[in-house]
Amino acid sequence: MSTTDMIRFENVKKIYTGLDSKSADIVALHDVNLSIQKGEFVFVLGHSGAGKSTFLKLILREEKATEGRVFVNGRDLSRIRPREIPYLRRGLGVVFQDFRLIPSMTAYENVAFAMRVTNIPERQIKRRVPYVLSLVGLSGKAHSLPQELSGGEQQRIALARALVHSPPIIIADEPTGNIDPELSIEIMELLQAINSLGTTIVVVTHEHELAARFKKRTIMIDHGEVVDDGFAPHGREAAYL
Amino acid sequence: MRISSFKYLVRQGWHSMVSNRLMTLASIGVLVACLMITGVAVLLSVNVGSYVDYLETFNEIEFFLDDAAPADVVENLKIQLPLAQNVSFCEYISKAAAVEDMRGWLGENGDVMNDYAGEGNEQNPLPASFRISLADVSQMADTVQRLQAMGAYAVTAADGSALTLNAFYRINSPTELSSTLVNLRRIVSYVGWGLVVVLGVVSVVVISNTIRLTVFARRKEINIMKFVGATNAFIRLPFFVEGMTVGAISALLATGIVGGAYYGLERALLQPNALWLNEFTRCMLPFFDIIGPLAGGFVLFGVAIGGIGCASSIRKHLKV
Repeated sequence: MSTTDMIRFENVKKIYTGLDSKSADIVALHDVNLSIQKGEFVFVLGHSGAGKSTFLKLILREEKATEGRVFVNGRDLSRIRPREIPYLRRGLGVVFQDFRLIPSMTAYENVAFAMRVTNIPERQIKRRVPYVLSLVGLSGKAHSLPQELSGGEQQRIALARALVHSPPIIIADEPTGNIDPELSIEIMELLQAINSLGTTIVVVTHEHELAARFKKRTIMIDHGEVVDDGFAPHGREAAYL
Repeated sequence: MRISSFKYLVRQGWHSMVSNRLMTLASIGVLVACLMITGVAVLLSVNVGSYVDYLETFNEIEFFLDDAAPADVVENLKIQLPLAQNVSFCEYISKAAAVEDMRGWLGENGDVMNDYAGEGNEQNPLPASFRISLADVSQMADTVQRLQAMGAYAVTAADGSALTLNAFYRINSPTELSSTLVNLRRIVSYVGWGLVVVLGVVSVVVISNTIRLTVFARRKEINIMKFVGATNAFIRLPFFVEGMTVGAISALLATGIVGGAYYGLERALLQPNALWLNEFTRCMLPFFDIIGPLAGGFVLFGVAIGGIGCASSIRKHLKV
């Protein structure tokens, strides 16, 4: 593994075993080999059921590879102990399509929550949270509840929460799935700005137009296999456009 | 863990209790009921035990001496019996003392014993005896057999053959009463502990369900906590705080109710018009002796059940 690899998949296979003898096993990923370097901005593109979610779950160590090895931030996830998983995740900022904000908490509290539950001192929280809220342009909305904000603003809070630990990698799972197209561009530009500061960004999406617009490295997954890996638009991805 | 984080998690636990106050109240109610029944069972058990202890003080056994028993054998028994195993009290009643006892028992008619009074009175028909109390009544039959054997002595018959006789010609022992008391104590103890175990399990299930509902209501929050890198211990703590607080509050309420009822019962039994219950009242453990252990037991039991109930319900949600 190269020292600049932030994520590396080596011959990775993931099979979900059937619940009983009658249900068939499902091969979600098959012989996946790829590496994502430090500071890269990568789209992982694929249709629903292509294997994108499994790809994410393996990075977050929500699932374990059936075969092969997954390295994240220098750790071999096939050898990591369960009690080390929280520490792995502290090095990964995750943004979800459905934002996953706590409705009873203000924007400030939602961001601070990520720091509190990782045992960070209060004075550091008080310093860091306003800073990340200003980074995503939401300083003025710190005391608003999620339901008082637009979809784009909610996603920016989720992004602020992902940034709060200064993780070397940010993984965005369909970050624009629940927001208007104009706001989608805003979010993507924000991710680009974060990437320009050296953070590795992995955006998992089914929106080919989005990947094509930003002209970044695009990894195409189809039926559990990497079918294309390059700069969009080209190859099979171009065919979708 | 930092103090600020600990405080935050404790606040979260309390906050959750307030947010889910109906469920919290329901589980406190059920737990109070379980603790009350458990407490009543334990108090009943210890008080019956105390009454059995009192009844056991009446476990006197009388060993009547044969008039023909040699004086040296009797003198030996006077020394050996008080020292025998399981004997807590031993008193020798001479023939003359037996007459005086009888005179006292006959009261106004005691004069009829005048002809038999006095040491060495040949006409006295009453036998000398030993009155013995035992330390452990459950071993009464064995002890009686062993003490009886101590009365054995050898004589030579007229035809020259060796004979073994016994200084005791009769033994009055309340063996049936003792076995009844021992059985009663055992039954009360088993029933008491059985109730504690059954109600303990019921309480764990109740608390566990309450926490499970809270966990379910907060599953998104737990999920987020997992993804931002919170450790399992960190996620569990607010739920433990919630479970244990519910346990502690229930314990205090149950102590107030059961302790108050016990105090009231004790006061009522001490009223002059309740003196017919004197026998039982004298054995009833005083309120101030039971309230400390009762409160301590309830708090430990409640908090432990709260903790166990919480641990058993949250495990599934931590597998993210």
